[in-house]
Amino acid sequence: MSLDLRGAIVRRGGFRLSAELSVPSEGITVVFGPSGSGKSMLLSAIAGLHRLTAGSLAFNGRVLEDVAGQQRTPAHERAIGLVFQDARLFPHLSVRGNLHYAEHRRPAARNAPITLEISRLLEFEELLDRPVKNLSGGERSRVALARAIVSAPELLLLDEPFAALDGRRRRDFANFLKAYSRDQGVPMIVVTHLIDEAAELANHIVAMRAGRVICSGRPADVMTRPEFADLLAPRDRGAWVQGAAGFASGDGVWVRADSVLLASAEPRGISARNVWPGTVSGIVREPDGAILVSLATAKGYILSRITLEALADLRLAEGAHAWAIVKAHAL
Amino acid sequence: MVRAMLTAEEFQILSTSLGIAGRAVVFSLPVAILFAWALARPRFPGQAALNTIAHLPLVLPPVLVGYLLLLAFGVNGPLGGWLKQTFGIQLALTAEGAALATAVMAFPLMVRAIRLSFEATDGGLFEAAAVLRASPWDRFWSLALPLAWPGVLAGAVVAFAAGLGEFGAVITFASNIEGETQTLPLAINAALNTPGRDDVAFRLAVISLVAAIAGLLAAEGLQHWARRRLEG
Repeated sequence: MSLDLRGAIVRRGGFRLSAELSVPSEGITVVFGPSGSGKSMLLSAIAGLHRLTAGSLAFNGRVLEDVAGQQRTPAHERAIGLVFQDARLFPHLSVRGNLHYAEHRRPAARNAPITLEISRLLEFEELLDRPVKNLSGGERSRVALARAIVSAPELLLLDEPFAALDGRRRRDFANFLKAYSRDQGVPMIVVTHLIDEAAELANHIVAMRAGRVICSGRPADVMTRPEFADLLAPRDRGAWVQGAAGFASGDGVWVRADSVLLASAEPRGISARNVWPGTVSGIVREPDGAILVSLATAKGYILSRITLEALADLRLAEGAHAWAIVKAHAL
Repeated sequence: MVRAMLTAEEFQILSTSLGIAGRAVVFSLPVAILFAWALARPRFPGQAALNTIAHLPLVLPPVLVGYLLLLAFGVNGPLGGWLKQTFGIQLALTAEGAALATAVMAFPLMVRAIRLSFEATDGGLFEAAAVLRASPWDRFWSLALPLAWPGVLAGAVVAFAAGLGEFGAVITFASNIEGETQTLPLAINAALNTPGRDDVAFRLAVISLVAAIAGLLAAEGLQHWARRRLEG
């Protein structure tokens, strides 16, 4: 069971997206890449809002679009939901009206929460009778997600769902998506350019750049590749670490280079739960002046971003022993 | 109150005018909405022709429009003859005919206002509706029309106000029959052409002016109200 794009090409105003891709139709797939890499366009093509100019698209064996075979299922018959980055709530309806719009159009047999249930789950019951023009950005995001869920899609696409949310809400939102996908068995494809959200959500990750898929697979495989590191801004650099304390997942966790401290002697009497010894395997000066130190440890490679002064104080050089320190909270 | 201020004759002329303009709007509105919708779509073959047809009454002399209607819908015209034989309906020289002539003349105004409103609607909302399983027809009824409502209302009111003043097409196609097709401008014209009726013409002119201004103000007000409801 999967979503398959074969030789798919979409053209839009001079931009060309080409996708050869197969993602599992379970759990959460994150599409990650810098802005302008065609992530949103990929979602629009899957939802049926942009036409393929070549290739084919199939979901769970059902062909949705096949250019050579002149076959195309229109967006409203695909049962694929899409949460737009700009929410796109209907301005002439209240919050309740927006949710009812979706509820009244879903097939009777599909099992998904109805308006009242979802508004309780996402904690906006008190907003139901408000006109949508009176909502804040974060509220709009939640209502847009709720509306998409109420329409009971077989696949849910989300375009930068965290854009309008602050720190705590982001975490709640991410936890909700994970729980909902798992409990209701609804596969999701989430587009984001935020590395932390990508790492936290992904069961599967697709990395894109300049209209192409450059790699896809399990986060542990994709996020450790050099071509993936090339997609990241200096401050977003990090490493995939297995078996960190304070983190439940057995598959590992993304540790930002920015949140890793280095010590040249074994630290004692320290509150951090993750202290890993290793050997300095590389020291690189980043374009922004920071120093990126890679440390080979038993957990795998760990990256730490430090200043030039810190590097001099620690007297680190390739082959030297060092300890990486990470607060469990930072994971 | 209006009745107390007017003579019986003036009241009849005013109500004839309102009735004809009202019917003209009611019957042409659905057609105008369809035209406006089609013209607001991305380009398709035949769109230019449709646009020309919709705007033709704006550039043709009203008398010519009335004459063309007479050729088509006159008792001996192809459509008029058919209507008369099949349904027993006669349009020429009747209030219904005056309404038809008024509708044709006001049509471009209505189409223009409604089309602008369709074009101003955020296309992204239709994509949002499509992924919520709304078919194109469903999107038209549930989104396009409610969102274009201010323009539809304004178009209807402006067309109504303009319809009150239609002269050339009405007099050519439906003639000037008191109590049947004699609208305000027709009555003013008749009064001006009758010696000693200048004061009647003047009073009718004031009534026309008041009705036209009220119509425009109503259109403005409705549009303002509807826009505030949508945008806040």
